[in-house]
Amino acid sequence: MAMVPSANLLAPPNVWRRMRHRLAVVRHEPALLIVAILTLFFLYLIVGPVLSILGDAFVVQSGDSARLHQDEGSLTAYYLARVFASKMSSILIWTPLVHTLSIAVATVTLALTLGVTLAWLINRTDVFGRRWFATALVVPFMLPTWTFALAWTTIFKNGTVGGQPGWLQAMGFATPDWLAYGYLPTVFILTLHYTPLVFLIVGNALRRLDVQMEECARILGAGTRTITFSIVLPLVRPALLSAALLIFADCIGEFAVPYLLGLPINYDTLSTGLYRALSSRQNGVAAVLAVAIMTMGVITLLIDIRMMREARRFVTVGGRGAMERRQPLGSMRHLAASLPVLCVLIGVVLPLLTLFLSTVMILPGRFTPDNFTLAYWIGSDLHTIAMRNGILVAPDFWIAAWNTVRIVGIASVISGCLGLLVGYGVLRSPVSLLGNILRQITFLPYLVPGIAFAAAFLSLFAVARGPIPALYGTPFILMLALIAENMPFASRAGIAAMTQLGREPEDAARVAGAGFLTRMRRIIIPIQAAPLATAILLPFISGIKGVSLFVILAVPATDVLTTYSLRLLDYNYDQAANAVVLMIALVAWLGTVLIQRISGAGLSRGLES
Amino acid sequence: MPEISLHNLVKAYGKSAKPAVDGVNLTVADGEFMCLLGPSGCGKTTILRMIAGIEHASGGTIAIDGRPVDCVERGQFVPPEKRHVGLVFQNYALWPHMTVARNVDFGLRLQHVDASEREARCRDVMTKLRIIDYADRYPSQLSGGQQQRVALARMLAVNPGVLLLDEPLSNLDAALRLEMRAELRRLHETFGTTIVFVSHDQWEAMTLADTIAVMEGGHLQQVGTPDEIYARPANRFVAEFIGNPRINMIPSRDRKGQETDTASLGLKLTERLPRDVPIDVCGIRPEDIRLCETPADGALPFTVESIMPTGGSWVIELAHGEDRLFHSTQSRPRVRPKDQIGCLLPDEALHLFDGSGRRMSIPGYGMSAAA
Repeated sequence: MAMVPSANLLAPPNVWRRMRHRLAVVRHEPALLIVAILTLFFLYLIVGPVLSILGDAFVVQSGDSARLHQDEGSLTAYYLARVFASKMSSILIWTPLVHTLSIAVATVTLALTLGVTLAWLINRTDVFGRRWFATALVVPFMLPTWTFALAWTTIFKNGTVGGQPGWLQAMGFATPDWLAYGYLPTVFILTLHYTPLVFLIVGNALRRLDVQMEECARILGAGTRTITFSIVLPLVRPALLSAALLIFADCIGEFAVPYLLGLPINYDTLSTGLYRALSSRQNGVAAVLAVAIMTMGVITLLIDIRMMREARRFVTVGGRGAMERRQPLGSMRHLAASLPVLCVLIGVVLPLLTLFLSTVMILPGRFTPDNFTLAYWIGSDLHTIAMRNGILVAPDFWIAAWNTVRIVGIASVISGCLGLLVGYGVLRSPVSLLGNILRQITFLPYLVPGIAFAAAFLSLFAVARGPIPALYGTPFILMLALIAENMPFASRAGIAAMTQLGREPEDAARVAGAGFLTRMRRIIIPIQAAPLATAILLPFISGIKGVSLFVILAVPATDVLTTYSLRLLDYNYDQAANAVVLMIALVAWLGTVLIQRISGAGLSRGLES
Repeated sequence: MPEISLHNLVKAYGKSAKPAVDGVNLTVADGEFMCLLGPSGCGKTTILRMIAGIEHASGGTIAIDGRPVDCVERGQFVPPEKRHVGLVFQNYALWPHMTVARNVDFGLRLQHVDASEREARCRDVMTKLRIIDYADRYPSQLSGGQQQRVALARMLAVNPGVLLLDEPLSNLDAALRLEMRAELRRLHETFGTTIVFVSHDQWEAMTLADTIAVMEGGHLQQVGTPDEIYARPANRFVAEFIGNPRINMIPSRDRKGQETDTASLGLKLTERLPRDVPIDVCGIRPEDIRLCETPADGALPFTVESIMPTGGSWVIELAHGEDRLFHSTQSRPRVRPKDQIGCLLPDEALHLFDGSGRRMSIPGYGMSAAA
């Protein structure tokens, strides 16, 4: 029998033909192009600034060449030595570091204790009014931290610094410095702000916990104590650790509160130190400090990631959440409610009321009818030198408000859309390595506290580099910084939304004959409308509340509400400043409510991610 | 209506992994109703997705209507949106933000069909599939069967020459399955569309398809009519995969390749078979075993182990020493457990397979009663 030749009449595919086929496939799959462009864009926008400031720490900065006897731009270890091993080190880094760490540790400890207690009370007992508290207790997290700082100053400010005194001072009680400024109020305020985060994260973990696990232990004869300490706590430990590290990282980067409450008594933290270094044009020192803050942020979050990986070993598979089991408190039901009541009172009612009252009082701390006025809101021809109009009729306010909406708004829309695009690219990219790189890059700003990131941005964009002109002083630097800062959230939201959607609706449209743009316009974007809206609104809120980026990158021409209020404060227009802050808080709160409406998912999930 | 031909088709994910599809050659004739049948992970869905174009081949050629749409050797690739095939996804992939009417309408809009004709064609196809009453609902408001019909209508509206279906009946309950089955057959007859569908369910394959292509491990095992693959399975895999209850397999050797021990069923059977062919295993369909109460000529002694009613038919487990056989019958069995009984295993019902599992064609053997 003769050998039958192979049926394959075509030449076997060689490398060249395979490449050509691959190209033919990729040509119809724009995901690769999208991923490539986005990766380059974010390399420039996120990795670029970080590298730039890293370089600044080792290179002679402008203005320093005479002192260092070195040319501008040449390598130097001077800044490193100055920060870490000189007569100035104690002022520049060691004292601020100790302050930063002690604030962070105290805040984490207090917030965890309070947060876990509240989470347990609300989720696991029949405490009076638990449904109502579940919402009310979260409000302090929606308010910017410096709302509390301003309220604190309104009450406790003393004669150490000039301007209008605090209420207590005005009423004749001299408040000591330790109470008015520095460590104590900072920790108190940060605790107020971050307790809701613990409450949310631990509360969610408690709710997701399968009650059957506890019941099983109960059947085997375990008492409440045993169940709490050997079943429940170990199972929510990952959530606890995660909350702790998140708060720790946030505290390290916190700028507004130490700026408002630390500066009067020269109580510096790393972030205010960085701000001082920048505003006194010590760019090299600032770079070293920024790198130090970044390093701390990265280490903390790497620990977090590590621990989360460990924790995945015992992920509790979503049990039947409906089978709720609450411990009856009996006659203690109402008494136990006093703790959440106190929290809402101190965390929401008191600061907001204080701020509001301060804006309608002419002299601080005098509660007589003739001292109340709405002039600071809607009046005109005030007897002050510069702010002659009430906030709501002052053109400056509306310019700042418009700037805020414009800058933060545009940046949020862009970051929301880019986030969705990142999600699309990461999931559809035919080269998964590239997708993973993009995912990691967009997550990077999460590791870098805002103030350090702002410094890094300044370092890269302050001067013209190649085709990119100097952006400092323009709204673009703010927008770019906001976009970069928002990418961790936006890209995660985008990836999550695209994962949930899956490929099939798009594949179905392809088979039906829809090209890429049609698929985007008719299928992907309409389906993802709600996630997209959330991914735009959340950055908008955080952008409106944000201080650290603006305080470094904004100039008077790009005044936004935050910088406007800080400037009013500097000029001692306390009433006006507080009024602006109240407006910001109002917008932030309304935005959060709006998100809740749109996503329907509930605030807790949005904030947790 | 076009024919689809696959030539040496390969799909490999990553270099080291075993290819999901490994050198498949298959032609689906114009107007044919073909099923790709196989266990999960055999590569059948991958083939379907490659025909649609949402996966691309790693080697070989796919041609639709004589035109290569994916050819690695020539570096050609036509994207799915230009192939004019219809694909119904296993979980339907309806667009959740569009009403039923808009879902069905979508493809026609893309083709810029004018409004009145579009309207007419959508009404027509929705009426045929009996979803016209739900035209204004959203997919989430429909039941599984209704969603499936929308998914089908969405593809039929553009009247594709080729319709690909991924597990078309798998998500439906028993009543709906029958209804949809009839629907699909009727559609095939009305439109004359070339249909390829994927299934892991032999009932679905047998009842729907004109031709079944059985797949396993990325390879094509056998292509034939439902009767052919049942009556003359090309290899052990096909024989064992098709048929419920499963075909009885009686090895003539043990695992070490030795002749099995003298008491075994295998040896007793082998004695009857031609000596000069290397038979490895004999198969007999459960319904081909004949029971006789009094030991007849050539009957082997068995013990009735258990009797399982399956509604309208019965499966009887029979034991001969260590060997177990299953017999199925449509008539109420008159035996009881522990009864001693004789069984006839007729030569013509024995399917013989060699050491590599291939069917051995020996005159007088392997002609199932069903054929």
